[in-house]
Amino acid sequence: MSRDEIPPGTLYLLILKTLAVRKKLHGYEIAEFIEQQSEDVLQVEEGSLYPALQRMLMKGWVVAEWGVTAGNRRARYYTLTADGKKQLALELSKFQRIMGAVTKVVQPA
Amino acid sequence: MSFRRFTNRTSKDQDLAEEIDSHLAHSQDAHAARGLSSEEARRQAYVRFGNPRSTREHVWRYRSLPWLEDLWRDLRFALRGLSKTPGFTIIAILVIAVGIGVNTAVFSVINAVLLKLLTYPDPQSLVQMRNTGPQGSFPGANIPKFNIWHQQTSVFQQVAAYDFGGAGLNITGGDHPEQVQGIHVSADYFSLFGAPIVAGRTFTSAEDSPHGGHVTVLSYGLWKSRYGADPKVVGTTIQLDGQPYLIVGVIDRRFVTDTPADLWVPFQFDMNSQDMAHYFTVSARLKPGVTLPQVNAQLRLAADEYRRIYGKDSLPANSGFGVASLQEATIGDTRFPLLVLLGAVGFVLLIACANVANLLLARASSRKREFATRAALGAGRSQIIRQLLTESLTLSLVGGALGLILGFAGVRFLLSINPGNIPRIGEDGSAVTLDINILLFTLGISLLTGIFFGLLPAISASQPNLAATLNENGSRSGIGFRSGKLRSALVIGEMALTLVLVIGAALLIRTFLKLQAVDTGFATHNVISMAMSMSGDRFQKTAPVALVVRDGTDRALAVPGVVDVGVSNCLPMAGGFGMSFDVVGRPKGNSPFAGGAGFYSISWRYFNALKIPLLRGRSFTEQDNGAAPNVVIINQAMARQYWPKGDPLKDRIQIGPGAGPAFAEGPRQVVGIVGDTHDGGPNRDPFPMMYIPLAQMPDLETALNSRVAPLWWIIRSQVDPRTLSSSITAALRDASGGLPVAHIRTMDEIEARNTARQRFNMLLLTIFGFAGLLMAAIGVYGVMSYSVQQRTQELGVRMALGAQASSLRNMVIRQGMALTLIGVLIGTGGAFWLTRFLASFLFGVKTLDPIAFIVTPLLLAAVALSSIWIPAKRATRVDPMTALRLE
Repeated sequence: MSRDEIPPGTLYLLILKTLAVRKKLHGYEIAEFIEQQSEDVLQVEEGSLYPALQRMLMKGWVVAEWGVTAGNRRARYYTLTADGKKQLALELSKFQRIMGAVTKVVQPA
Repeated sequence: MSFRRFTNRTSKDQDLAEEIDSHLAHSQDAHAARGLSSEEARRQAYVRFGNPRSTREHVWRYRSLPWLEDLWRDLRFALRGLSKTPGFTIIAILVIAVGIGVNTAVFSVINAVLLKLLTYPDPQSLVQMRNTGPQGSFPGANIPKFNIWHQQTSVFQQVAAYDFGGAGLNITGGDHPEQVQGIHVSADYFSLFGAPIVAGRTFTSAEDSPHGGHVTVLSYGLWKSRYGADPKVVGTTIQLDGQPYLIVGVIDRRFVTDTPADLWVPFQFDMNSQDMAHYFTVSARLKPGVTLPQVNAQLRLAADEYRRIYGKDSLPANSGFGVASLQEATIGDTRFPLLVLLGAVGFVLLIACANVANLLLARASSRKREFATRAALGAGRSQIIRQLLTESLTLSLVGGALGLILGFAGVRFLLSINPGNIPRIGEDGSAVTLDINILLFTLGISLLTGIFFGLLPAISASQPNLAATLNENGSRSGIGFRSGKLRSALVIGEMALTLVLVIGAALLIRTFLKLQAVDTGFATHNVISMAMSMSGDRFQKTAPVALVVRDGTDRALAVPGVVDVGVSNCLPMAGGFGMSFDVVGRPKGNSPFAGGAGFYSISWRYFNALKIPLLRGRSFTEQDNGAAPNVVIINQAMARQYWPKGDPLKDRIQIGPGAGPAFAEGPRQVVGIVGDTHDGGPNRDPFPMMYIPLAQMPDLETALNSRVAPLWWIIRSQVDPRTLSSSITAALRDASGGLPVAHIRTMDEIEARNTARQRFNMLLLTIFGFAGLLMAAIGVYGVMSYSVQQRTQELGVRMALGAQASSLRNMVIRQGMALTLIGVLIGTGGAFWLTRFLASFLFGVKTLDPIAFIVTPLLLAAVALSSIWIPAKRATRVDPMTALRLE
């Protein structure tokens, strides 16, 4: 089973969407969720997940707070803000536009 | 926002580290759940994640501020580069420190004198009342004028009169009487200047009226020194001139007056007085919203009313009243000289900039390969310029900090040895203090100079021809055409600026020497003067004053070593009185009086004590007293001006006609003519002057004199008179029934004080000129040694082809001197135009003084020649073999 890297620029979209669906997750859960939803096709490179989360924090798309997991571990939980929801809509329409365009190019005429 | 991000990034990093740990733990759990051993699960978790440190670094970097990081990197790089060339760095910093230091020095004086506002509340609305006339405007008032100004309530909020301590007062009642500075004021004085009161109150208007009784307000200093700052002293009395004075209040030390006051006493003017004598100053506070044109219009009406009441002779038709801002009046004529000095230090700074730019250019051309390498590795042009500017700003800021210390300490030192007769700088320059203005000024010019001298070299260094530079063998390639031209231009500029400065300095030195050479017309060597305050009821008539003069003269003459003793109501060169006069029997024509002249009342030995020569007629004797016929002696200037053909000794003159009852007296026979004295200072022509015997003063005039001026004792001795001063003061105290003397100064000191301003200007400009000369010498030396070093190969080839050592040397000298010559020509042209601004500083020297304009260029050429000599010599020592083998 081969795993594919996430196309550049789509990591934000994936994180935003994940948080929109699952409301409140910590970093590991975000990565896990993306992999499970993509049926293990997409591999979140964990080294770039946290820088991305940090940027999103700074841009105000998400907020983070420390909490405790079911397994009684400390973890940092992320939730979407109003700005984050707007950004998700934006990223989504951008992604669809690009995907549509790419599809048109690669589709056999 | 971004700064918060920047500053709290350490704690954020901690958060992230913890978060990554938590992630790894979860990951490890997941792996373990799939059946891996805990060791293997841990390994797998780390493999999946990658290097946590690199993630943290990644985040750290975009939490930072790029420009700050860059600045910090550039700064570290600059410091490293500068510390690698300590010789260059130290010279550059010193040159900048001198350039900025002299600017800080002059600016701190300008700040204290011109920029700082007066320390009184709302200083902009304070004005000094002036008399206006064809000769300009001047302060000074009599009671009738004060009275009329006081009534102009439509424009003035308060009007107050004050003097500058005048005669001084004697605190009596202790073992030894003490002479203090007692300033006379009208009741409004304290409220006009917003003087803060620490205890008691100030004068009531009842206390300031003719029968207001003896009251006084103490200064903080006297309160502290004499009463230990005891507030209970208010309500007690202090003995002044043998009379008890009620202490009604104490003024805080924050209150600063022009002449420092020990205590204040009320004038107690009789407002109905017709006394025309001007002996005090009046200032006023404008009503809010009143404009200067309104004040002037109102004062024109006041002048008309004054003429109507006191007669048209009391104020000529072309004269009137006016106001001047108190700040401007205090600054007086100091503004222009200070601005000229600021211009001169601007020149020094320009020379310093040119010098450092030159050094930087030399440095940059030896670093050409470094820049080319960086450019090749991808550094943009702006990055290289930024890097070089950081370097020059580092230099200029360090130099500026050093210059601040140098300049500030220097100016305080200079003012302490020579206060230069500048107003508002306090005792020995103590009011010249470091404040935010000076710090900002120094910071500002440091930044400006850093950019100024750094930008040219940076731009020229950032245009490397990559391939050419990198292919050149070693750093010893010839100087680029552009950089060579630029450096020569800088040296020429330095030379020209220096020449202007040194010509200025030469003019001032010549002025000072001329002033020193002026014969003041009286002896100053081994002559000492001391002031005795004749205040109090004892001295309201002439006879008791004359008695003290006679006894004091006898007793002082008995002191061993004393040669002669004279007494007068004012000191030569220390300001005096003027009086109008008529020549009896001579038609006056249109003007109210025949003329005006300086006025001295003197003892019979005065001319002997000061060695003022008698030219015609006779001198005064002890017998010229109140009982003898009225006599007067005039000086040569008066004889020449008012008796161009006739013989003054045949005439009688009437002194002070119409000056009021205090001066009413009979005409005086002119009995002698004495030599002129330079009373207005050596740079002014002698004034017409008349002398009358002290013993013949009208009583009322003596009373006025006792109030406004002390009696000056002038003693000439065989030895240094300072060694005799204690026996002289003891003799005078005995003769006067216990009166102390104060202001003990030699006439040499008084003369020096008269030329203090000129000496101050000369000293400063000489220092500036010297600094410029030194920097120009360094500049031309630097350029020529560099050029010789760059041309080693060429010189080697020339030598190998048989050139004489002397011809090589001459070639280098010719080149250096060509630069000097161009600089000198430009500088002479500049000086031709600029020295006109020095005109008001000069005495006995023209602005285009041939000596200054010939000697100075020669001096500059000589200095340039001697600094070119060393690199020129070096050119002859080039070993052809070595030079060629280097190829």
